[in-house]
Amino acid sequence: MDKLMYNLKEQIIRQLNLKDLKPEDIGDDQPLFVEGLGLDSIDALELIVLLQQEYKIKLANAEEGQSVFRSVRTMAQYITEHQPA
Amino acid sequence: MYIRSVGNISAQLSFSQLLKEPAVYTTNRLTCIEPDYSTIVDPKLIRRMSRIIKMGVAAGMECLKEAGINNPDAIITGTAYGCLADTESFLSKMVENKEELLTPTAFIQSTHNTVGAQIALMLKCHNYNNTFVHRGFSFESAMLDAITLINDGDAASVLVGGVDEITNTSHQLLSRFGLYKTNPVSSASIFESEGKGTVDGEGAAFFLLDKKASGNDYAALKALHTFYKPAGKSVVEKNISDFLAMQSVDANDIDLIITGKNGDRKNDEVYEQLSASLFKNKVSVNYKHLCGEYPTSSAFALWLAANCIKTGIIPGLPTAKKPSTILIYNNYLSIHHSLYLLSAC
Repeated sequence: MDKLMYNLKEQIIRQLNLKDLKPEDIGDDQPLFVEGLGLDSIDALELIVLLQQEYKIKLANAEEGQSVFRSVRTMAQYITEHQPA
Repeated sequence: MYIRSVGNISAQLSFSQLLKEPAVYTTNRLTCIEPDYSTIVDPKLIRRMSRIIKMGVAAGMECLKEAGINNPDAIITGTAYGCLADTESFLSKMVENKEELLTPTAFIQSTHNTVGAQIALMLKCHNYNNTFVHRGFSFESAMLDAITLINDGDAASVLVGGVDEITNTSHQLLSRFGLYKTNPVSSASIFESEGKGTVDGEGAAFFLLDKKASGNDYAALKALHTFYKPAGKSVVEKNISDFLAMQSVDANDIDLIITGKNGDRKNDEVYEQLSASLFKNKVSVNYKHLCGEYPTSSAFALWLAANCIKTGIIPGLPTAKKPSTILIYNNYLSIHHSLYLLSAC
């Protein structure tokens, strides 16, 4: 799980061009949106694409997004549960 | 109307540096010297901005800062190619990903009006906002819109600018049409290099046009005229003569002519003929060795002219008489011709 979360942080930084951040700067449970990393709705779309590109996971419905993208840990949990074998 | 302030990002660092020591390059493409954007734009916004957006926004904000205005009555932009890097990015991804898994950012930022829109978003300015995409008349169209708004009383202060960028792909594609020199040349001597092609260029220049004089303006903008595909050099001459006559200006009243010579032998023929006729014995300077050739390069020429009038110094001609009246004549690919007349305030 720790390795997956670290990879996710690297991928988020790359995908969203968060040049000033390093993986260590993002907390495992830090909120990604608004008060946390400050991401917005366009970033949410980028994260959906990231899940599809890197992990072949397609969000079943948009409402899931809010809980899946709450933090790096929730993303990692979702990937672990849904990644194709 | 008056040019109250300017903001410019180009292959030259600044006007004072241009007077002291112009940046000289040996290349066939002149790219901009970019500032530290983090001091101008919120870092959270920068991460989504491609180079042209950063250049345009920074030039626009610098211009507004100098004027002390944060809510202009209109923001108008001219660009021929728009946000090319973003366009290339999302088109490439469409191909690579077989039209699936497309990321939104490059697509959203690829539209031609992104620069004007970003400036408005940063200022929270809900006033008139327009972008003109009209090849070699893109900047002129933006200027004409600004002039019309001011003359009709619909706006008192207008932020207007021209932006275009070079990308590797655009340079490659346009090179195939023979637009640029095939080998690197010194930008200081492009007018001596015989043959076909010029030097590719890019830039972002913004101006705050104001109906009223502020007492500290760069110059008064007297008139702007465009003409398309003139049938011959005599038609060019007639357009220039008529333009000056309309402004009740005699050719002898002009202290400086800024020409759009670009080092391409065919393109420069018209300037050579004018220097032997209408512009004979006139003080003239070129500008495309400083910024390169691109469809909105006349915005750089306007920035140069405004600075010459304000400082009274002409780059390359330090002992020339202080210019009070400047005519800019430029053409892009011998198709889009434009004339600007400026005078001291």
